[in-house]
Amino acid sequence: MKCKVCSREAQTQPLSRYCELHQKAYESLLEKFEAWKKASNIEWNDYLLQVAKNQLTGIWAKEVAESLLSEQHEDAGSKRNI
Amino acid sequence: MEKYTLIITEKPDAAQRIAETLDARGKPQRTEDRSVPFFTAQRDRQLVVVPALGHLYTLVQEHGKRSHYPVFTYKWAPRHMAEKNAKHIQTWIEVISNLATNADKFIDACDYDIEGALIGYTILKHACNDKDQTATRMKYSTLTEDELEKSYSEQMPHLDYGMIEAGRTRHEVDWLYGINLSRALTTAANRISGRYTTLSTGRVQGPALRFLVTRERSINLFVPTPYWTITAHVEINGANYPVDYQTRLFEKKADADAVVEACKGKTGIVDKIEEKTMQVSPPVPFDLGSLQTEAYSLFGYTPRRTGQIAERLYLEALISYPRTSSQKLPPAINYKMILNGLSQEPAYKSLASELLQKEDLKPKEGIKEDPAHPAVYPTGNKPTRMLEEAERRIWDLVVRRFLAVFGDAGVKQSMKAAVRVNGHYFYLRGRRVLKEGWMRFYKPYLRSEEVLLPPIKEGQTVQLASIAREDRFTKPPPRYNPSSLLKRMEAESIGTKATRADIVETLYNRRYITEERITVTDLGFDVTEVLRKHASPVISVKLTRDLEERMERIQGGMEKRETVLVEAVDRLKPVLTTMKQQETTIGQALNEAIKKASIQERIIGSCPNCHTGKLMILFSRRTRKRFIGCTNYFKNACKTSFPLPQRGTVKTTRRTCKACGWPLLFVRAVGSRPWNLCFNTACPRKEERRKRLEMQGLQQRSSNPTSEQVL
Repeated sequence: MKCKVCSREAQTQPLSRYCELHQKAYESLLEKFEAWKKASNIEWNDYLLQVAKNQLTGIWAKEVAESLLSEQHEDAGSKRNI
Repeated sequence: MEKYTLIITEKPDAAQRIAETLDARGKPQRTEDRSVPFFTAQRDRQLVVVPALGHLYTLVQEHGKRSHYPVFTYKWAPRHMAEKNAKHIQTWIEVISNLATNADKFIDACDYDIEGALIGYTILKHACNDKDQTATRMKYSTLTEDELEKSYSEQMPHLDYGMIEAGRTRHEVDWLYGINLSRALTTAANRISGRYTTLSTGRVQGPALRFLVTRERSINLFVPTPYWTITAHVEINGANYPVDYQTRLFEKKADADAVVEACKGKTGIVDKIEEKTMQVSPPVPFDLGSLQTEAYSLFGYTPRRTGQIAERLYLEALISYPRTSSQKLPPAINYKMILNGLSQEPAYKSLASELLQKEDLKPKEGIKEDPAHPAVYPTGNKPTRMLEEAERRIWDLVVRRFLAVFGDAGVKQSMKAAVRVNGHYFYLRGRRVLKEGWMRFYKPYLRSEEVLLPPIKEGQTVQLASIAREDRFTKPPPRYNPSSLLKRMEAESIGTKATRADIVETLYNRRYITEERITVTDLGFDVTEVLRKHASPVISVKLTRDLEERMERIQGGMEKRETVLVEAVDRLKPVLTTMKQQETTIGQALNEAIKKASIQERIIGSCPNCHTGKLMILFSRRTRKRFIGCTNYFKNACKTSFPLPQRGTVKTTRRTCKACGWPLLFVRAVGSRPWNLCFNTACPRKEERRKRLEMQGLQQRSSNPTSEQVL
């Protein structure tokens, strides 16, 4: 299976949708969400938006945030079609 | 024919200076044999001083094809046998060999360090028919007359074999690592891509790239977190002064808002004033690393550039030998003589004279030592020509640092006033210099500024003039720059003072890194990843550091060269076997990155017309010509294009045109000098040139009237 973000092979142990680098970025996003929630009581989606547009965010973390946002966008679109 | 003494130096400038010093009249005879200069000096006997051009000999593979690996057999051979662009070395060696036939005494006067020892040894051994056994050694740290005379009259009876053995080991171990690992990478990549691309790594290059990759990973994975700070000013005697809030940062926005709300528009009372005085010790003398770091932070010169400038200043006898790790200045260098020399220079006259009045001249020294040379210091000689701007700056820096180390400690005072506003504390901070001491000598290069506060006293009421919340985010770790990378390599004891700057440059040349604030490319990532997976035992920082220590032990005669070499081969063998078995996997991993890198290499910058595409060097299949085009052309969105010279090679540079700011290209063609090309057809410099040529044309026409006009 290919990584959701890039063309590298997805990690198999443990099983992941991402390659090793983007999996690490995803874990970093999860970890920092706690600090954001504590700081300003932010929701997951808003958090991803903020992180995706922040210039200090690392490129891999940004790619994962954007990928998660576009997945949610697609999900919302398919629900509307139903 | 009368026999003479043959003196071998590392470079032509050093040969000239040594010959001028040793000739009784100070005017040696300069001769050229097939463009190789040498100098004949007369004193108690005839001396012939011949320079090398750095290393004239290098390591070459003894058997097998050039692309074959593993390879463990090698020999020292003339450089022209191994390098394409070194044909002139053959003549150089022939001239030295001819001069050696009529010499009955040999002196090695190359720079006194590992590289210099090896340069002299290989020439004496291979070009002068094993004269390394009988040669003597001149040892000096500056090219001043006094020191050269002394080193000639007090020659070491034989070559420094500890240094030579350490140098041989370093070159041989590095060759074994470099040639085998680089060939393993290159062969694997070529096997998949079918195209030849040079990939390289080495004993020091590998760990250095690894530092950068580790940092790049942290930057790429970084997720900023918000925090808040308070910015506030108090008004005293009609002027505003910034104050720091008692808590440096807030993790919750609401907490910062509460402070702003509580203090806005309020007055405060100066609760307590604390004053502290502290002594500021002089800096320590420069070793090469600290000189390179300082020059980078003050002038933005890369470590390599600073090294080259310092080398030039040394060859002109303005500073001592710069490739040193020492932070010591022994009294033997004669402080007073140097200060007397410097006092002849108007810029340093008063400073040097002030130090000369001191009863006891004792420099502040650092802990680092170098058995071969003292720290970098000025010789006291005046420049004999107008120095270029960069040379003048480095010389001034070395001179002022030298003066500063003899200065007294400075005294600084810091003041901290606590202002209480509605139960919250704000701090007003100031600092000033009470006694300049050494700082007077180093003034142009001091970074901290004074912050002067108005007269205040405890119990005084002050108005909080402004207060606001600042929204902030945590920052990723900073990128390395060439100077900070060098510092890290030095701290981890990998590489030597002479080679570190070149290794950083190689990483750029191999396209593993780009930009001044270093960014690792995909190729850099993938090469490191391949090495981590398949060759980690031989590119670890620990192993590199251990080898450095062992090479130092060889220099001290406590370790044998053969033992270190056998161990290096034993470590390499299993790694190379695995890499050979995994060639396809490694090649696949590298192939994608190479493709990306070659595209990246052709990208010049953003398109000035559509602003979304990138300008790239392209080839037209129809016309079979190269040109610059916008990547949006393929989407039918932009037709921007610029012509390019069709002859020679064109490469992107990291520089921009000083006149218009557009990216510069580097063009190299056979038969013409390499040049930088600004492809902006409307560049002001082009317009100026056109006008100038037109003017010249008009002038020529008016001064050379045509035959018709004459008639």
